[in-house]
Amino acid sequence: MKKIMKFIKKWLTVVFVVLVIGVVGFAIYAYEPSIELMPAGSQPNFEPEVIERGRLMAAAGNCASCHTAAGGPPYAGNYAMPTDFGTIFSTNITPDREQGIGGWSPAAFLRAMRTGVDREGNHLYPAFPYNHYAKMTEADILSIYAYIMTQVEPAQVAQKPNQLPFPFNQRYLQAGWKLVSVDLKPYQTDPQQSAVWNRGAYLVEGVTHCGACHTPRNVIGAEQNDKKFAGAAVDGWSAPALTADNESLLPWSAADYSTYLKTGATRLHGVAAGPMAPVVHAGLQKLPDEELQAMGVYLADLSGNGLTEAATNDIIGASLEQNKPRQSYRWDTGERLYATACAACHYNVEQIAEGRPDLGINSAVHLHQPDNLIQVILDGLDNESGITGVVMPGFRDALNDQEVALIVGYLRATRTDKKPWPELTKKVSEIRDLYP
Amino acid sequence: MFKQKFSQQPIDTAKITRRGFLIGMTATGAVFGFPRAAYAAMNPATLSGMPNGPDGATFEPTLWYWIDESGQVNVNIIRAEMGQHVGTAIARILADELEVDWQDVQITHVDSDDKWGLMVTGGSWSVWQSWPIYRQAGAAGRTALIEAAANKWGVDPAACQARNGVITSGEQSISYGELVAAGLSRSYTEDELKALPLKPHSELRLVGKDVTALDIDNKTNGQAIYGLDAKVDGMVYGVPLLPPTRMGSKVDSIDDSEAKGNKGYLQTLQLDDPSGTVPGWVVVLGTSLMAAKKASKKVQVKWLEGETAQVSEADIQAHARQLINDPDAGAILATANPDTSAVFAQAAETLEAEYTTSTVLHFQLEPVNATAFKNDDGVWEIHTGNQWQSLILPTLAKALDAEPNQIIMRTYMLGGGFGRRLNGDYAVPAALASKAIGGKPVKLVLFREDDAMFDSPRSPSVQKLRMAFDAEKTVMGMEHHAAAGWPTQVMVPSFMPKGTNGEPYDPFAIDGADHWYTMGAHQVRAISNDLANRTFRPGWLRSVGPGWTHFAVESFVDEAAHKIGADPLAFRLDHLRAEGYNAGSAPNAVGGASRQAQVLRRLAELSGYGNTPLGKDTAIGIATTFGQSRTMPTWVAGAVQLHVDRKTGVVDVQKIWLVFDCGTVIDPDSARAQCEGAALWGLSMALYEGTEIENSNVRDRNLNTYTPVRMIDTPPLEIEFIESSEAPVGLGEPGTTVVAPAIANAIHNAVGVRMRHLPISPAAILSALS
Amino acid sequence: MIKLKINGRDVSIDAEPDTPLLWAIRDEVGLTGTKFGCGIGMCGACTVHVGGRATRSCITPLSAVDGTEITTIEGLDASHSHPVQVAWRDLQVPQCGYCQPGQIMQAAALLSDIPNPTDDDIDSVMTGNLCRCMTYPRIRQAVRQAAAGKQEV
Repeated sequence: MKKIMKFIKKWLTVVFVVLVIGVVGFAIYAYEPSIELMPAGSQPNFEPEVIERGRLMAAAGNCASCHTAAGGPPYAGNYAMPTDFGTIFSTNITPDREQGIGGWSPAAFLRAMRTGVDREGNHLYPAFPYNHYAKMTEADILSIYAYIMTQVEPAQVAQKPNQLPFPFNQRYLQAGWKLVSVDLKPYQTDPQQSAVWNRGAYLVEGVTHCGACHTPRNVIGAEQNDKKFAGAAVDGWSAPALTADNESLLPWSAADYSTYLKTGATRLHGVAAGPMAPVVHAGLQKLPDEELQAMGVYLADLSGNGLTEAATNDIIGASLEQNKPRQSYRWDTGERLYATACAACHYNVEQIAEGRPDLGINSAVHLHQPDNLIQVILDGLDNESGITGVVMPGFRDALNDQEVALIVGYLRATRTDKKPWPELTKKVSEIRDLYP
Repeated sequence: MFKQKFSQQPIDTAKITRRGFLIGMTATGAVFGFPRAAYAAMNPATLSGMPNGPDGATFEPTLWYWIDESGQVNVNIIRAEMGQHVGTAIARILADELEVDWQDVQITHVDSDDKWGLMVTGGSWSVWQSWPIYRQAGAAGRTALIEAAANKWGVDPAACQARNGVITSGEQSISYGELVAAGLSRSYTEDELKALPLKPHSELRLVGKDVTALDIDNKTNGQAIYGLDAKVDGMVYGVPLLPPTRMGSKVDSIDDSEAKGNKGYLQTLQLDDPSGTVPGWVVVLGTSLMAAKKASKKVQVKWLEGETAQVSEADIQAHARQLINDPDAGAILATANPDTSAVFAQAAETLEAEYTTSTVLHFQLEPVNATAFKNDDGVWEIHTGNQWQSLILPTLAKALDAEPNQIIMRTYMLGGGFGRRLNGDYAVPAALASKAIGGKPVKLVLFREDDAMFDSPRSPSVQKLRMAFDAEKTVMGMEHHAAAGWPTQVMVPSFMPKGTNGEPYDPFAIDGADHWYTMGAHQVRAISNDLANRTFRPGWLRSVGPGWTHFAVESFVDEAAHKIGADPLAFRLDHLRAEGYNAGSAPNAVGGASRQAQVLRRLAELSGYGNTPLGKDTAIGIATTFGQSRTMPTWVAGAVQLHVDRKTGVVDVQKIWLVFDCGTVIDPDSARAQCEGAALWGLSMALYEGTEIENSNVRDRNLNTYTPVRMIDTPPLEIEFIESSEAPVGLGEPGTTVVAPAIANAIHNAVGVRMRHLPISPAAILSALS
Repeated sequence: MIKLKINGRDVSIDAEPDTPLLWAIRDEVGLTGTKFGCGIGMCGACTVHVGGRATRSCITPLSAVDGTEITTIEGLDASHSHPVQVAWRDLQVPQCGYCQPGQIMQAAALLSDIPNPTDDDIDSVMTGNLCRCMTYPRIRQAVRQAAAGKQEV
């Protein structure tokens, strides 16, 4: 008996010591020191080229979209992000010294972008995709710093408190999250690939953080690196796969990607809508063509082979034929609604017009989920979505759930070979209620 | 192109825009359209819609027109313009007789005024009624001008000739304008007008020729002005909250507390209506149409429902059948020999069939609306498109508690009439809303769903037809019993003639049943469906009764022919005999049944009926009708070629042929246009559109579920007119009446099933085929 | 404040952002040529061009067209002589005329995209425009004529 007790006591001691070492070790690991505020007026001078580079990098990273509240001053934060764990608000990254990052040194900025730790040493929530910004070069990161410090208006807006329950409001636990989830190494050039490919990869994996939306996340909210770019749900929309599993009818070429990112649409796939609209309109559109082309090269490589021109034309021709309403159109309600509400705009002959998708070829009709198609039917596309200058009206107040479902079902059934989407009326109702 | 003089008003930007303003605007206001002044009647050819005033003195031989010193002729038109180019037709009739150049003619669609007499546009009456009157008016002017010139030159009027606005005699000539400038005043009594010599048909120079209708130009550039476009300074907007039943509902409570926070919301009115036109109506006012509409969704109204709140289409039709089975119900028309009891008692064989039609919406594309206010002279102005000013003015007077001569209806183009705007009930709530806010302008707009709910739809109908044959299969007699809601009873009971049994009847709910076939004894019984009349306002809808009575007659005639093994064409021709009751009469029905036979024969030739081999399940069906009534018949024959898909029941209409004898054709192109439109209406009501009453109201209220004909549904149409110099009869409606029965007959010829309900649906065909 | 161009002119409209473009054009700017028929985008009477594309203005909110260029029937052609308008007058297409601004705008867009349309193309693109007077046979003919006319130019 005494021997067993001694044995247990010995092992309990070992476990206890290991735990203490673990906790202390974790605390040491998690601990980040505060970096001193820079004295006022001590900003370095920035070269104009650096500031310009920063403007482009900030556009590429679409910083303003997440760091600006609806109707609020740019970069002043308080953009609300509902997550599975609660709602959090973005920070004020204007050069305001009190509420913003006006007092941050370049080193502090660099640490935040690379490791997700703010000036005072607090760990930032991974809603801020620092796992991507970590791949950027120091020069690129600091160019953003230069841009923000010189070009953005300071705004004295306090950050709203995050609405996260315990334990998610314990920031130091984010360090543990980082331990298991994130690779923070900067981008490594792949010597097997061209310079252009590497440039594209650097941007896509880094500042433009495509994976933050297009890579599915696991139960603790981390990107699943083994399913990179496999597609994910975002705010009631589907961010489609950017891999060979992409469900578009026609494959995406490098030119398709760069056209899409520049203009907000490709003729053979569709338009940038929903959360993707500001990515193009407020962001990537501003990048020089070479950067977009490089991104295209990388993305096209990810998503696989193209078709011959002849094969593509055959598919387009077949779809355009299918688009004509039949004499008997009025006896199928979905077909009738399409012919009277949609066909007046969604027509194409031979050439598919920019920003006016053929609905047999358009990706939204081919995706695993009907979300994107339903969203666009309900709320259309304004001038800041799709291509500039052209809009699509929304049918939210014009058609009821069943009618929208019938149109969606009609398109899926007659224009694709894909499996029918189940329970469409219910789905329309759910999406309608997301943004009443 | 005739010369366009349009009055340029200085652009008052405050009037053109309120919260929208134009940066860097220049003076070419024409591109942006003028707000129509709240004053005058309408000239559809001017950019502003305002009539051109005369140059100097005028000569006005009758109230229908004046000629001014520059030779310009202004013709006053009391008819509403709703696409039939009626003003152009009528002005042409006058101008031809007057001998002026068409270039010098303008038309003014007048506002309401007692001096014009009856103001109504419907029944396919306009050209028919105007023909004698405007010819006489034109002749009056021509005669007076010749007299004046003859006087001036000291010659015999017979030596003078009038042509192209100029009187000549030998070497001398003088223009109408000069004669007017010299001073001309001659007026004519009714008797004098009737005695004036009219030109022989061979001398008609404008009638029968194509001209560009005067309202066309502005309908291609956005300048045509409809009631919905009315603009009055300071106007507020109103939208209704409609009670659960058309009649008999009362407001119990109104709670607008939730609307009070809405931007632009003004107030909610519970209308007090002494005329009883819009019981239970509530109107929500706002500073913009959207403000009123949005606020109206937040206003909570509770009503005590009228007694018809649960009435359905099935109830209405069941009631119709009940009435038909009651031998004492209804009025017997004065046909040649209405007593059929004997022939049916002695018949060797009889045939009986029931035909039904469902409720149909007008769905005129401009929803009903009206703008009303009291002007500075204390006169109530009602700005709206309307087809029967004379009918609604007394009602407005009652509603407003005003003298009839204190109310004026300002004329606008109609964005579709089709009979909806014969019932001007929509003007009443606008006037009442304005009165409730002290006479300030209110523009009342019914959005589409409200327009449908507030429609005066075509009533559903039940018709029972019977035929008696002797042992030789000769037709001995026929009966036609029809029950439906009666628009005339509900709206203008004084218009109803009496039957042989002293009972009044609505001619617009039975015309057509009194056909021109000689069928031995022939009884027509017209029955008012009082349940329909209580539940909604039955409406006059393009082709009215004939739109469904002919469906029954012409389907039944085909059924009878098939029963006795006769060819449907030969059977019809055999029974169209211009003798006795069916001999016809001058001036409107010269030739009687023989003219109907003539169009039918020509149609058979034209369509190749019976002679053309057609594919499987494909056939031609024929029908012949007359519209709108025996007193003014346009003779029509129609054929429809179609294919029936046995698997789906879908009917593919491949072609429609139509032959018309409408007497003198005033404007060939316009006549053709009316017949195209009328035929397609017939097609639409036969196969594609219809609704039902559900809980007292129509079930389908917008295009998501109400489905009229569209372009892809439109088959090729071949239309022919018989050359004639007889009096011109109407064309707006007759073309509608022949299509449905021709389709039913074609379906029978194609796949052997008899469809007796309109609209004919694929499901019904499949059911009949199984 | 929404800023856009209408018929080539700069316009500022101070109305609720969810105001349908149709009512902003008609009531705020005062151009009443564009019509209201159904309010659910299924009749085409409200058709205008946004960026040259036929768009149903009754269900397009004002906020969506901030910064765009709109053409209404009044501005389709400076002298109202667009080949479609010429054909429409030549064949006397309009009856009541209420749907015709929308028909003309739709046809103009059709012809700028499909200069040589087949009858199928015409049906396909124009079937969404309702004409209650049912002038469809003439609309078809006028589109063909306008296309042929444009070819000759």
